[in-house]
Amino acid sequence: MNHMVVFAIPVLSQLEAVMRHVLVWFHTTLGLTWAWSIVGTTVVVRMLLVPLTIRQIHSMQNLQRYAPQMKEIQKKYKNDRQKQNEELMKFYREHNINPAASCLPMLLQLPVFIALYYTLKHYHFPPGSDLSWLNFIHDISAGTTTQWGGYLLLVVYVVSQMASMLYMTTATNKAQQRIMLVMPLVFVTFIARFPAGLVLYWVTTNLWTVGQGLITRRLIPKTPAPSTAIERRSSRTPPKDDGGTGDNGAKPDEPLPQQPKPQATAPRQVRRKKKRPSRR
Amino acid sequence: MSVVLRLPSLLGIGLVWLYRLTWGALFPTTCKYHPSCSEYAIQALRKHGLVRGSLMAGWRLLRCNPWSRGGFDPVR
Repeated sequence: MNHMVVFAIPVLSQLEAVMRHVLVWFHTTLGLTWAWSIVGTTVVVRMLLVPLTIRQIHSMQNLQRYAPQMKEIQKKYKNDRQKQNEELMKFYREHNINPAASCLPMLLQLPVFIALYYTLKHYHFPPGSDLSWLNFIHDISAGTTTQWGGYLLLVVYVVSQMASMLYMTTATNKAQQRIMLVMPLVFVTFIARFPAGLVLYWVTTNLWTVGQGLITRRLIPKTPAPSTAIERRSSRTPPKDDGGTGDNGAKPDEPLPQQPKPQATAPRQVRRKKKRPSRR
Repeated sequence: MSVVLRLPSLLGIGLVWLYRLTWGALFPTTCKYHPSCSEYAIQALRKHGLVRGSLMAGWRLLRCNPWSRGGFDPVR
């Protein structure tokens, strides 16, 4: 019955055929076991999505600069999420920000998941093939809870899912974060019925996300430097101001014009130079 | 519009809800558009029916990529 439903929808059967070919290629050409072929496929899929991720990292770095102002907006419209969203969108537009989040990369992984699901359900693995993984999963095409290793895999899944959700999100809302931690526990009840290979896919993709998150977090602190530099400078300025008193007009300036010169130790000289051209 | 005529678009809306409760819930990312892509899809399906609504939702999804600007984009 399930088989018929799948083949009634040509797109699904095409997806399944593609996935089967990819898995067979990994297995026969690269000589990987079927389980490692799934891991390989997952890694390839995520690698294909890397350009999208890099773009997201860039926009996240950009977002980080405006974090204080954005937090203020979030605070201001705390009780009206619709208004909050609208105001944030306006803010993005005004400051030429491209928000990091977008739906397409996330949705692109759905067909892969569906294809793998049906492949594991329908594909008749050649008799005698090794369907085990790391000695604790005996059969990747069998239900996860039909084997003891499956329970272990489910535990890994829950932990990796929680970690990946925390790394993926930019949500600062504590209630939202709590929901994210509960979600994997809800999902695990459904996922337990899936073939173990599918859970393996999920674990791999989650671990990739966590790794990516770790790298992203390392990269991101580089950008907020200007904003912290601004704070530092403002705390430094008073004593220096005493020396060079005439800076009153510069104070109301927005922090943005100050950003390009955070490392320069002599910004004041630059300002004076600005006045000098008239003398020259 | 009678219920019978609205059935196809209701089916589409049901699918969007199915997505929201399953796949969508696995990814905590927020959409860069307002209304979000799934909300846009529901509104488009309601307003323009299954065929046009689906095409509009598909086009919006393609626009919701890391290179686009996002912003306020209601169903017209």
